[in-house]
Amino acid sequence: MDQMVRVMVVGLGTMGAVHASSFVEMDETELTAVVDVKEERANEWGEKSGAKSFYSFDEAIKEVGEDIDVISICVPTDLHPAFVKKAADVKAAIICEKPLARSLEAAEEMITYCRKQGVALYVGHVVRFFPEYQKAKQALDESVVGKVGVVRTTRGGSYPVATEDWYANTDRSGGLVLDLLVHDFDFLRWCFGEVERVYARNLAGVAGINEERKDYALVTLRFVNGVIAHLEGTWAHEGFRTSFELAGKEGILHYDSQKNQALVAEKASPDGKPGVAVPESPLKNSPYYTELSHFIQCIQSGKEPIVTAEDALKAVEIGMAALQSIKKKKPVTIHSQKVAH
Amino acid sequence: MKVGIISFAHGHAHAYASSLVAIDGVTVVGIADDNEKRGKEAAQQYQTDYYQSYHELLAQGLDAVVVTSENARHKEPAVAAAKSGAPVLCEKPLAHTVEDAQAIIAACEDAGVLLQTAFPVRFNEAIKRAKARIDAGEFGDILAMKGTNRGKNPGGWFNDKQLAGGGAVIDHTVHVVDIMRWILQEDVTDVYAEIDQHFSAKAIDDAGILSLTFQNGVFATLDCSWSRNPNFPIWGDVTLEFIGTKGTLKVDAQAQKLDLYHSGGLQYNFWGDNMDDSLVRDFIESVQQKRSPSVTGTDGLKALEVAIGAYASAAKGDVVALGEGEQVAR
Repeated sequence: MDQMVRVMVVGLGTMGAVHASSFVEMDETELTAVVDVKEERANEWGEKSGAKSFYSFDEAIKEVGEDIDVISICVPTDLHPAFVKKAADVKAAIICEKPLARSLEAAEEMITYCRKQGVALYVGHVVRFFPEYQKAKQALDESVVGKVGVVRTTRGGSYPVATEDWYANTDRSGGLVLDLLVHDFDFLRWCFGEVERVYARNLAGVAGINEERKDYALVTLRFVNGVIAHLEGTWAHEGFRTSFELAGKEGILHYDSQKNQALVAEKASPDGKPGVAVPESPLKNSPYYTELSHFIQCIQSGKEPIVTAEDALKAVEIGMAALQSIKKKKPVTIHSQKVAH
Repeated sequence: MKVGIISFAHGHAHAYASSLVAIDGVTVVGIADDNEKRGKEAAQQYQTDYYQSYHELLAQGLDAVVVTSENARHKEPAVAAAKSGAPVLCEKPLAHTVEDAQAIIAACEDAGVLLQTAFPVRFNEAIKRAKARIDAGEFGDILAMKGTNRGKNPGGWFNDKQLAGGGAVIDHTVHVVDIMRWILQEDVTDVYAEIDQHFSAKAIDDAGILSLTFQNGVFATLDCSWSRNPNFPIWGDVTLEFIGTKGTLKVDAQAQKLDLYHSGGLQYNFWGDNMDDSLVRDFIESVQQKRSPSVTGTDGLKALEVAIGAYASAAKGDVVALGEGEQVAR
């Protein structure tokens, strides 16, 4: 058995917590260090996991950088480039949360930089590890529904809550078009190849602070292979949901998290008001765990991951085209260029 | 009240005929159809007379006429009916071209007869309830909408561009656009569309995603594809979702159904109120009471303009503004 993989998780918000607990749980990994600007949160994780806690990434790098094999970057999107570069400088393998970056140029630069430093870069496009999406991809590969013509996806729920309310700042997060729909951009690209044209509309626009704390986007993608896809992204609903429908010549494949529910709990609320039904989709391993475990295996074996940094770049490219379409109120054609090697 | 039906080319003729024969005081005095076999069968089914020519039928002195011919064959009988003084219920889309739709509207206005576009979805109880709740301000201001009107390829003349004016886009755009206009009380200002043929054997558009902007800035999309395969458990769907400042509202016009798991496959059996029947009864009442139609010819034209605009957008590969250039006269 190889040595324990020593991991540092940077940023202990929603995703950081998922990463940290996965690395605690995994046999192959040891959560060696955690970093968060919120001292309380860093300390809490330190105590809970035995990891060394830091309040600044620079300090963490200086203290334990040499002893870390993998650095997980779970900070707001606009901070990804600087953090990834610093992690690359200490030659750690990098797992970066999605979207890879807030701009296409930044994403390209990150990939080039990691390649130059000789470190692997993995991006958390976790949808490729959700079994319902994997099953759909497999069905497409087996041509279960014949040639696909029209695709519809839905993703979202209520407005996200996070440190500094950074999701509400479109300049930092890209809003839901980049932050949320990047999942479906990647999934659909995985299924149908490259996107030719994008037309998108949203409530929040493309820049500045969304004071309404409500966003909703409808995006149409035209793939090079002719498939027409309609994507709904929402931060205007109550409760998270995803759905997809793949309509082909021979059949229709449909999933709706609000209909296909394995476990639904309903409890009266203590104040006597009607309670909320809480659905659950129990799996042996969460898709996040499966994803991170896959990345660790790739780090150990050097094999190509299911989703590459180039895939993540392409997903950002589609997202940026969607934002551009919103701004210009026009369809935007994607003229893809390969990342220089 | 003497009512005539012109053509059974459109399947909805059966829905309207069976409603008409059940209304007290209404007599279906005849069915005209240039397809003699189809016309005679229908005449027999609804126990009325068959006419080879709609002119002969109109000569019977009708109090109302239902036009359910192919899209490209609406204008002639509708204009003739108007000239004979008979109010017209015209199947959707009002016509296959904007010019024809304008001609129908003009003829009915000149003759002073009522013209109603047959948009049955306005009479679906779930849709009506959605409008009532939105009108009451329950969801605040509407900001965005998402609609679907997907179905199976109806085959026959629906796949003939000469007779239908197009495929899925002209067939399935108008219902939901009409509902969106009706609820928002706003017109569409521009349309962007991705249109293709993905499912059918014949050369006809059957895949379409439309993006619309309304006068007040609200944006919406509509999936009008014939993307349901022959074994889909029902003919198709009409769904709408509204995003408002105070909440969201989802409406599925076909959700009042039983799921039948039959040895021959899954079927959805609808048990909600019959919207086609409500449409026909409303038309007859409007004629009897000499009131304005619930759905006008202009409503039909406005919805058609969006479908025509969608084709223009797909051909151009760009957003197309409506109501520019050739301004709609009426």
